[in-house]
Amino acid sequence: MKLGLACDGGSPPPRLVDLLEQAGLPASAVRAVAGPALVDADGVTWLLAPGADVLEACVRGALDAGVAGKDLLLELAPPVHELLDLRVSEDALVFATPQPGAGAVRRGRPRVATRYPLVTRRHFALTGRQVELVAFDATPVAPGLGLADGVVELRSRLVLSDAISAGRPAGLLVREEIAACSARLVVGRAARALGGERLTGLVERLRAARATPT
Amino acid sequence: MIPEGMRDVLPPESGELRAIETALCGRFAAYGYGEVRTPWLEYAETLEAVEDDTLEAGYRLRDQQGRELMARTDMTVPVARLAAARFHDRPLPLRFFYVAPSIRPWAPQRSQDGEFVQAGAELLGLRSAAADAECVMLLCDCIASLGLRDYRVALGTVAFYTALVDSLGLRDDREKFLEALADRDYPLLETIAGNAGVDDDALKVLWRTLELSGTRDGLSQVRKMASSAAMDDAVRHLVEVRDLVEDAGFEDAVTLDFGLYQDLTYYSGVIFEAYAPGVGLPIASGGRYDGLLERFEWAIPGVGFAIALDRLHEALEEAGVAPSAAPACIAFAGGLDEPARTMELRRGGWAVAALPDDAPAPPRPRLQRSGGTYILELADGSEVSGSWRDILRGLGIA
Repeated sequence: MKLGLACDGGSPPPRLVDLLEQAGLPASAVRAVAGPALVDADGVTWLLAPGADVLEACVRGALDAGVAGKDLLLELAPPVHELLDLRVSEDALVFATPQPGAGAVRRGRPRVATRYPLVTRRHFALTGRQVELVAFDATPVAPGLGLADGVVELRSRLVLSDAISAGRPAGLLVREEIAACSARLVVGRAARALGGERLTGLVERLRAARATPT
Repeated sequence: MIPEGMRDVLPPESGELRAIETALCGRFAAYGYGEVRTPWLEYAETLEAVEDDTLEAGYRLRDQQGRELMARTDMTVPVARLAAARFHDRPLPLRFFYVAPSIRPWAPQRSQDGEFVQAGAELLGLRSAAADAECVMLLCDCIASLGLRDYRVALGTVAFYTALVDSLGLRDDREKFLEALADRDYPLLETIAGNAGVDDDALKVLWRTLELSGTRDGLSQVRKMASSAAMDDAVRHLVEVRDLVEDAGFEDAVTLDFGLYQDLTYYSGVIFEAYAPGVGLPIASGGRYDGLLERFEWAIPGVGFAIALDRLHEALEEAGVAPSAAPACIAFAGGLDEPARTMELRRGGWAVAALPDDAPAPPRPRLQRSGGTYILELADGSEVSGSWRDILRGLGIA
């Protein structure tokens, strides 16, 4: 069985590895592995790669199943079946701006820096507001740089690092929550049609594991 | 340069695709289907007879009178148009097939080329499980005849969804629920159903049916859950179709799949998709569209499917059973000047490309003249040299 785990640069989240192990999968083999990697362990081939890659591999039938964040599922809308909310890496896509009085420029059409252009465009269009999108990966620094008036980003990513500490809050105030996000179990259409009992077992074991506190 | 999403097809791939097309045409003909060809341009209003989001981005142009034309985006609608216009006084049923390209906006994230060739069949005028089964077995036959073994045809029905959503007693959330179903977002379905106070046991079985494609075990669960006559009917219909297909000799090819959902809006009954290992998206899909011909003022039912030729070819390659293109062609240096001898080889069953005398050495198999001797080098590395008669003997002609 080939399974993909989304991880951006680092190793997969420990809580996810715990959950997969509880479901009887040989996930300890990838606990300390940083992607990109292919790891064989007890009949399972693990792909560790960025979430978008895991989804692409599912779409193209190269994986039996994958775990990726809801943020990417919303942004990319890939033709996959989203089977289960694994309830790990719980987070939210939010719209955040600098604190009032922090010297932000006010523009007639605000600029929003984001890694999620489609989600952002849809969110503001649905709420009847016009914004200018700034495609930018290091979103938390964009307002301080004067590049944007706000950001659309995962709540957990609204942090900066400096010489002294990593993970200092970026001083951004969450204005709106756009969507709750968490790790989801997804399968491609072909994998679902051809997978039969194997996938049945996997989903049920993960559902049971999810309900058991560790 | 060619437009994005389009591609050229070169030998030997073109030969392999042609071999697949020929085999498929043979299967369609064996079931009494007749080939139709329709223009690739239709009046936009013809294609707009169905509501399909992809039409908005379709390629449009105008004729000299200013009427809006559109490149066809699939073949089912043109065939329905043709049937209603040209066959409305003929006895039913009607059986048509086609092998034809359609053009849709390029969607790389969906692995959808701008232009794609489909081989498909439409059975018009019958509304029964047996008619549905004929289409499914024809599809199985098409795939199996090309040597693919590990394919699956997932069989579901629109009727089951409608009945399912009705049975859950959703009111305001009905639209949202259907949207989540279309997005295949099961956690969101769970939330919506949870908020609407849907009974826990019903939910549990619902997830099982949606998560899984049909195992025998899944079927009995779905039966238990079928809480309305409409759902019972839908399940019974699918089982009947599957049994008929199995009776025809396609055992283990069909799985019931209650999580199957088609994006096309004209489907009204059974829907089915074929999958093969190594290809992520369906190699074929189809279903029943009883309301479609009515839009062309002939209210007869219909069912049909289309095979995506590129994806089928990919599946055959993955399985190592892709048909070979035409047999290797002998490159005959000097053959242009010796038409009589060239024809002798062709009449003997060999393909020959005649080249000028001074052509640079072509790839094998090749035939050259050196003084009074001919030298034949075959693709397997063997060589024959000698008189013309020796060459003919070497090729099994004389």
